[in-house]
Parts: sequence; C-alpha cells; structure tokens
Amino acid sequence: MTAPAGPRQHPSADDPRIMLDDQIGAFETIPPYPPRTERESEFFALGDGEMFLNMGPHHPSTHGVLRVVLKINGEQVVDLDPVLGYLHRGVEKLCENSDYHHIISQVDPLEYVSSLFCEWAPVMSFEKLLDVQVPRRAEYIRVLTGELLRISSHVLFQGFMALDLGGLTPILYGFIERDEIVEMLAAVTGQRMLFNYFRIGGVNGDLNHEFMSRLGDWMSRALTQAEANAGLLNENEIFVRRMRGIGRLDRETALRMGVTGPNLRAAGVAYDLRRAHPYSVYPELEFDVPTRGGEGGGDSLDRYLLRLDEIKQSLRIIDQCLHQMPDGPVMGKLPRLLRPRPGRAWAAVEAPRGLFGTYAVSDGTHQPFRLKIHDPSFVNLQLVPLLVKGNLIADTMAVMSSLDPIMGGVDK
Amino acid sequence: MTTLNRAWGNLTLTGKVLLPLLFLLLVAGPILIVLIAQFVAPFLVDLLGANLGIVRFVVAVTGVLLFSIPAAFIIIYMELKVIARMNLRVGPNRIGPAGAAMSVVHGLKVLMKEDFTPTGADHLVFTIAPVIVFLTAVMTFLVIPFGPGLVGQDLNIGLLYLFAVGGMSVVGLLIAGWASTNKYSLLGGLRAAAQVVSYEIPLTLSVVGLILLAGTMSLNQIAGQQAGWFTNWFVFRQPLGALIFFIAATAEANRTPFDLSEADSEIVAGFATEYSGMRFGFLFFAEYVNVFIISALLVTLFFGAWNAPFPFPQVEVALDPGTLGIGLLILIAAAPVVLTLVFAAPIYLIRSSTPAWQALVLGFVLFNVVAIGAVFGIAYAGLDWMAGLVWFMGKSFAFVFVFVWMRATFPRVRIDQLMGFAWKWLLPAALLNLFVTAAAIVVVDTLKAG
Repeated sequence: MTAPAGPRQHPSADDPRIMLDDQIGAFETIPPYPPRTERESEFFALGDGEMFLNMGPHHPSTHGVLRVVLKINGEQVVDLDPVLGYLHRGVEKLCENSDYHHIISQVDPLEYVSSLFCEWAPVMSFEKLLDVQVPRRAEYIRVLTGELLRISSHVLFQGFMALDLGGLTPILYGFIERDEIVEMLAAVTGQRMLFNYFRIGGVNGDLNHEFMSRLGDWMSRALTQAEANAGLLNENEIFVRRMRGIGRLDRETALRMGVTGPNLRAAGVAYDLRRAHPYSVYPELEFDVPTRGGEGGGDSLDRYLLRLDEIKQSLRIIDQCLHQMPDGPVMGKLPRLLRPRPGRAWAAVEAPRGLFGTYAVSDGTHQPFRLKIHDPSFVNLQLVPLLVKGNLIADTMAVMSSLDPIMGGVDK
Repeated sequence: MTTLNRAWGNLTLTGKVLLPLLFLLLVAGPILIVLIAQFVAPFLVDLLGANLGIVRFVVAVTGVLLFSIPAAFIIIYMELKVIARMNLRVGPNRIGPAGAAMSVVHGLKVLMKEDFTPTGADHLVFTIAPVIVFLTAVMTFLVIPFGPGLVGQDLNIGLLYLFAVGGMSVVGLLIAGWASTNKYSLLGGLRAAAQVVSYEIPLTLSVVGLILLAGTMSLNQIAGQQAGWFTNWFVFRQPLGALIFFIAATAEANRTPFDLSEADSEIVAGFATEYSGMRFGFLFFAEYVNVFIISALLVTLFFGAWNAPFPFPQVEVALDPGTLGIGLLILIAAAPVVLTLVFAAPIYLIRSSTPAWQALVLGFVLFNVVAIGAVFGIAYAGLDWMAGLVWFMGKSFAFVFVFVWMRATFPRVRIDQLMGFAWKWLLPAALLNLFVTAAAIVVVDTLKAG
C-alpha cells in the first residue's frame, strides 16, 4: 500500500515554520540554479571579501524598474549585471496586431517622458510606406512640439541627476518647467503625458490660442529660468566633484557600442540625426550641434552639461519655428482605409536620448507585418557595466543617471 | 432611570469595567491625596531633602527626556515646511494651523505601526540598537546649559562627557545595521561607523584650542565666559575652530551633505531600512535630536551660549504683586474685559461691515497676544534664566534652520571624498588651529609676564 498521491508539497516563503527550520543565509549567492554561461559562472563566483548587492527593481534611484546586481568589495563595485524585462509589455507584438492608426497609441508609452518622439518615428515610417505628403505646417508643428518636449525631458533629467546625488531641490524646479510645457501641450493634444498627437500624414488638430499664449509667456522667461536652475548645480562644488571624471566614455567605445544622442555627443562625436540625416523641416532651421568632452572622452559632467546646451539650442529652434511657420492644413490627404503596398521602411528621429527608429514591414494588409522599434535607452544602458566597473556604489547612481535611461523604452 | 439603564446596556464590556473605576478614581482620588499629604508627605520631603543630588538628577533626566520630544517635533515640522518653501512647494498645511500638528501625527502614526522584526535578524540586538541611538542622543542634553542655572548636571568635564556619550551612538548605528540582516543596512551601518569615527577626531581637536583659552571643560563656565558684548564670543577668537566644529558636527549628526549612512538614492535608508514602528521612530527622533544638539553645542561653545549679543541696560521690574492688595484682584478681573473692549473698538469702528461679535473675538485674541507678550516681557526682564533661555533657543534654532537649509541645497558627498576631507583637510586644520592657539597663549603670557 503506497501513500496516497496528494499534491506535492513545496516549501513556501510564507510558511513561518519553514523559514525557522532552515535559517536563510542572508549573504548567500543569488542564482538558485547552476551557471548557464561562462559569463554567469564568472559573475557569480565571489572573490575574497566580495558580496552581491541586489539593487532594484524597486529602488529609489534606478529610474523605474531596472534591476542591477552589483558585485561589491566594500564600497567598490567589482562587477555588475543589469537585469532587464520588468516592464516588458510586448509593444512590438501589440503593434503587429493593431492597425496603423492604433499603433500611435501603442508606442506612446515607450519613452513616457518624451512620448511625441515615440510617435514621430513610426508615423514617419508609415508615411514612407504610404507615400503621404505631410503639409509643411504640420511638419513645423511636429518640430515645435518635439523640441518643447526635448526641453521638458532635459530639465527633468537635470532634476533627477541631482536627486540621485542627494540634492532634493532641483527636481522640483525641473518639474515646474516640465509642468508648464506639459500643460501647454495638453492644451493642444488633450493629454499631459501620452499625447497621442501625431497622425499619419500630419498632426491631430492645429495649434490653438491657449497653447500660443502659454508658449509666449513661457518663452519670455525660459532661457533665464534654465540658466538660474542650472546655477544651483553647476556652481556647486560637491555636485561637480561627484560628476567629474566619473564614467568616462571615449569616442571609440561610444561608436563601437552604438551609443547615440547626447551621450555620444558628450563623448566628442558631433553626430545628430537632425543634421546627419535631416528629416522634417530641420534643414530649414538654424541650430548648432553642441559637443563636449576632450581627448579622453566625456564624463558624467560632460553628459550633464551637454543636455543643458541642448536646451538652449532647442529654444533657438522653437523661436525659429514660431517665426517661420506657414499657414495651411495640418493633415495630408489620406485614404480612408490604410493598406500600404508591401514593402519596408526605416525612419528615425533624434529623440532626447538618441536615435529612436522604427523599421516597418508591410505585407499589404491593414496591419504591419512587423514593427521593429529601436530605442536609444536600451543601447545606452549597455554602457553601464563598462562605465561603472571599478567605481564606488555612489558612482553607479551618477553614471546611470547621466546616461538617462527610460525603462519604458528599454523593456518595450 | 430607563435612560440610565439603556446607556448602561449600550456600553461594551470594557466600558462597564472602566466606568465604575472612573467614579472610584474621582471619589477616592481626592481622599487619597489628602491622606498622602497628611501622613506620608513629611517623611517623603525629608527623604528627598536628604538625597537632593539624586532628586535633581532624576528631575533633570525627566525634563531632558520630556524636552527632547517637542524639540524633535519642532525640527521635523521645520524641516518639512522650510524645505517645502525652498522647493517652491507649500508643505504640510492640513493638520493644525499651517500643518503645525504634522509631526505629532507622524509620531502617532509611528507608534501605531507594526513593530516588525525581519526573519533571520538578531532580535535582541535589533531591538536594543534604536534605544542606544536615542539614549545617547538624549543623554547629551544633560550637560547643555540652556540658561543661567538651567543645566541638568554642571559637570566639570562636560565637554569630555559630551564627546564620550555622543561617540557611543556609533555603536547603536553599527549594530542596527548589522542586526537587520540586510545588505543595505550593513553598508549603512559600516558607513556610519567609518564616518562618525573619522569625524570624531577633528571634532574633538577643534575645541581643544577653545578649552585652552577658556581653561575649563565645563560648558556652564564656557558659557559664562562669553558674557557681555558679542565680541566676547569664542567664534571671534577661534574662527577656524568654529568652522571645523560646524563641518565635523554636521558629519557627526549624519546631516546633508554628509548623510551617507542613510543615503536614500544609494542604499535606500541605510541602517534604518528594516526598521518600522516605534523602533524606527527612535532612530528618526535621534536624528533630529542630534540636529538640535549640534546646534546647541555650536551656540554654547562659539556663539555666546545664553548671553545676549550685547549687554542690555538693566531694567528693574520692581513689581511685587502683594503690595497691590485688593487692587490686584480688580486688575485681574477688569483688565481682560477693558482691554478686549479697547482692542475691539477700533476694529468695529473702522469697518462698518464687521459684526460686533467678530470685533469682540478679534479684540480678545489681540488682548491675549498683548497679555502673553507682556508676561513674557516681564519674565524676560525679571528672570535671568528666562532671558537666557530665549536667547539660547533663538540662536539654536537659527542654526537648526541653517542645517535644514543645507539639506535643501546640497547634494551628497561620496564616501572617499568624505573620508579624504576628514583626514586630509579637517584634521591638519584642527591641529594647526590647536598649535596656533597654544603658541598665541604662550606668547601673550610671556609678554604679560615680561
């Protein structure tokens, strides 16, 4: 007679008796399985005096749900391993099952801090597939709202940079500016965060009076306010010393790792998609591509300062947009049912964090066959192990924050 | 009768037990008091009188413990409100006038929360750590002179006692970090240990020059030596020492920019990560009590303690209430009414839309403000310790404000910068300060003798 086959008993972490019976070792290694790759066996082998520190996914300064496993020796980070996927929603797959108009709202929350850029790239690729002409006024409006959002993203970056280094105040000053921008965009789009504003062939609705009056008020003080906010940090000895020389990224490494955006320009490479592969009406606008970083590449401070330079350039672009914007319609002629010809189209925009691109493959139906999304944060985040190794725990925050990843885009 | 019966029936079991007890207390209480006063009191007074030192000590400890709670509450509220204003926020504004009861509610919330010990933690050590941290913070209050005569124990080694007891808090922080069985806590505890031990040295050395000048370690006597004009304050004779003391004391109290042991963006909450409930409350209170203590110490040692910045002309308030006789009674009875009417009259007369009752209420409030002000004014002029307390508290809270201000403004330093700053800059500077002071004393003595 065998024992009745009941449900198998699993040890549960909620069961107090089990926890009491075998004492958990608080400082034991993390993975419960044997190492699967060479990298894993190297990473999870603890040297003398080393221990693991699991940072995230719920940690005050990992910018969302990034999890970083640090191997530390005292305060020094010996090795680290970013673990992704806590915010994975399968956006690319969702896009394959949505029709072309719906995709705009699916990709909106990727880079939720600057969501217009996530709309811009797929919309541009669909326009290429459909051969739609975008009215010039619509292009100007896209550039105008996009640059506004770039400023809002960068001022927020400035605040979070300070917050990760322990400064409480700049984040709130940053949020004041962001709130102004977001409110004026809400006057046009009806949303504060996920705007869902760009359409295939134009934009959803013309600029209105409330937007223009808010923008005028804000533009009159934007530059002085940006400089005043920067003065709180840029002249702070503690802040500068925390940032200078930390996470130095040289040109060759940056190019090899496929870094784009401010992080690449802070390493001394003057590569800006708005100038390198001009799209929209950027060829008609005057602005500089600021670069930072000398021979040895750019450190965290360079990456921080470069974003402040970009705020000024964006203000220049907004000013020109307002002066040059033509009259006319804001939507192009579109067929009622979108069925692009079979083909493929790549479009990329210069988002606040770098190259945001989509590669759309159409099979002639009303849904794309495939929509590959290239997110800059994902590429930039690969730098973290390179830049942090050998620094202190506190520098992990300074470096990660200066790369400015948005986990919504990383995990997609 | 039925009403009473129904009321009794509505009571819960607890109520049925407590209500008779309440009646008993109301009836038996006065009787007991009378009995004690009649028979036990003479014996008790003799006993207390024979052990005056112990009585004084117990009273001082009780006073200090009672004082630490409101002091921490005020500083917590100040931090919430001042940082909010600096962040262009409003801050707490719901509970009490302008949110003033916020920290009281914080305290109640902390009391009511579950007191949680993580699995695998060393329960005894985990429990005792916040007590050590809190007690070391509060015990330093004992030797701080709040005013002339307002000192718990006037030890002649007061300064030494302060550093000895203050340095013990690192034990609490370290075992709090270790016993939590959390890596963030461990890092926080070790950071706290490294930081407090390193900064203890420049902190102590920075006041040795002052001790040489003052010739005493009793805080009461150091305070007394700074009487008169503000140029007598030790900050003008020991500017470098005051600066080093300020920086090192900030690090000792784990305040921004040296709050590495609880750096929320790096190691979540440091040694306090696993604490909840009142155990966290003790750690939290200790932090703010420490802020007050370093401010009070700065004031005592370098900024004139309880002395006013300039000697006030002596105001004689020769008001003996006994001489007024029946007039006193009339004054107490009549003054509120008359003054309320006097203050209410212009409010009522100037704005015709103001109802009479509003004017009267405003008048009464105004009268109270004036009366309290007058009472404090008379107390200030007539009582030495009152004047000293006012100046001491004013100066201390001015420094508390500076610490709060620093918290709103500065980012945090890194651990290597923190240690490098202590050993490479503060320690040599403190030694230099000591040598210069000692040499100056020798030179001055020689010149005076020769």
